[in-house]
Amino acid sequence: MSGKTPVGLLIAAVCIVAATVLGIHVANEDSAHPSSDSGSIDAEIVHMASTVGGRLVDLRVRVNQEVRRGEVLYRLDPEPYDLTVRQAQANLALAQAEVENQRRLVAVKTASAAVAQAQTVRARTNRDLAARTVERLSPLAGHAYIPLQQYDQARVALHDAEISLEQAQQQEVAAQTAIGDLKSALATQDAASAALDHARYELRQTVVVAPTDGYVTSLYVKPGEILAPSQVLFTLVANDAWFANANIREVDLRPIRPGDCATVYSMIDRHAAIHGHVDSIGWGVLSADSAGLPRALPLVPREMDWVHVAQRFPVRVRLDQADPALLRLGATATVEIRHGAACR
Amino acid sequence: MRTYPALLSRTAPFLLLGGCAVRGAPSFPLAGAYFPDWMLCAMVGIVVAVGLRVIFVQIGVDTILSLRVFTYVSLGVIAALLVWQIWFGP
Repeated sequence: MSGKTPVGLLIAAVCIVAATVLGIHVANEDSAHPSSDSGSIDAEIVHMASTVGGRLVDLRVRVNQEVRRGEVLYRLDPEPYDLTVRQAQANLALAQAEVENQRRLVAVKTASAAVAQAQTVRARTNRDLAARTVERLSPLAGHAYIPLQQYDQARVALHDAEISLEQAQQQEVAAQTAIGDLKSALATQDAASAALDHARYELRQTVVVAPTDGYVTSLYVKPGEILAPSQVLFTLVANDAWFANANIREVDLRPIRPGDCATVYSMIDRHAAIHGHVDSIGWGVLSADSAGLPRALPLVPREMDWVHVAQRFPVRVRLDQADPALLRLGATATVEIRHGAACR
Repeated sequence: MRTYPALLSRTAPFLLLGGCAVRGAPSFPLAGAYFPDWMLCAMVGIVVAVGLRVIFVQIGVDTILSLRVFTYVSLGVIAALLVWQIWFGP
């Protein structure tokens, strides 16, 4: 029964060697063709919200509805924003009127400056005449050909004319300075114009349109709800690109390159192979060793661990073409990279 | 010789299965949970090892074997790895 026959030993040896060789072969194959059965179907999402707040008056979508890009999803009460636009329009009209006013004022002040300039010319002419009179009378008064009183009057007249000229010059400078310009009025007009544009922008934001094709999810409210600015009403699952996230052990990452073919099974139908290709490999995951506050000291547990479990990194696979019924965000996915039914 | 057709009839479906191979995800739903492909292969390996032992005892091959534990374990491992290679291999 338990005889150690050479035939028996030979059979045992052959079996053990065959098992070992096959085991090494399969291990190599497995390592060269990474796969994960804990992946998930992934898509990009948009949290739908408006930058302005108000009462929800018109909700045109239902939960789980499919929407097209550009389709109106919901509207907020536009009345407050309408009123703001009207107010901004009035402010702009006011500012424009102010510009016209300022323009007239500048014209008036320019004319005043011209008058002041003419006054200066007149004062100078008078001063010159008074100066010449004094010059002529001076030798005559010296020889007592004229009464001294007359000479004194001429000198007083010259002094008077000099003061008048000085005053006229100062007035001219003041009048020139007072002309001013339209800068302040134009700036006010620009500010009013920008305020009007902003009010119009806010009015447009009361209508929210779909930024992409997608599915409406997490919608729980009816019209009448009051929304704060930037408050999320529902989540839109983008339907223009679908992905599968597969967590692959670091030891198997080496053969994976972006663009590699991948076979993805959504477990909604585990018989339908979806063709995809590797989009990218995650550059970082949070590990327990790096947990904690950035500026605190490193948290090092006291332990003696002999076996270290391999870290896994998310590999993002872009799905090329798939039955929409299989694509649900978060569905379990099995991902085979560089092999599988879709890569043959 | 009497049992040879019986052996064939038992192993034939297995060999045929290799030809058609399971199409679909290498992950099997059972009672709401997914079981990996290698677990199925391990099951097959255990069943094959036990089955071969029964068959070998019946047909008398068992008597010429030595180091039986290693032999049967190796045979089971070979069967499991072959199943993996044929059904799930790249």
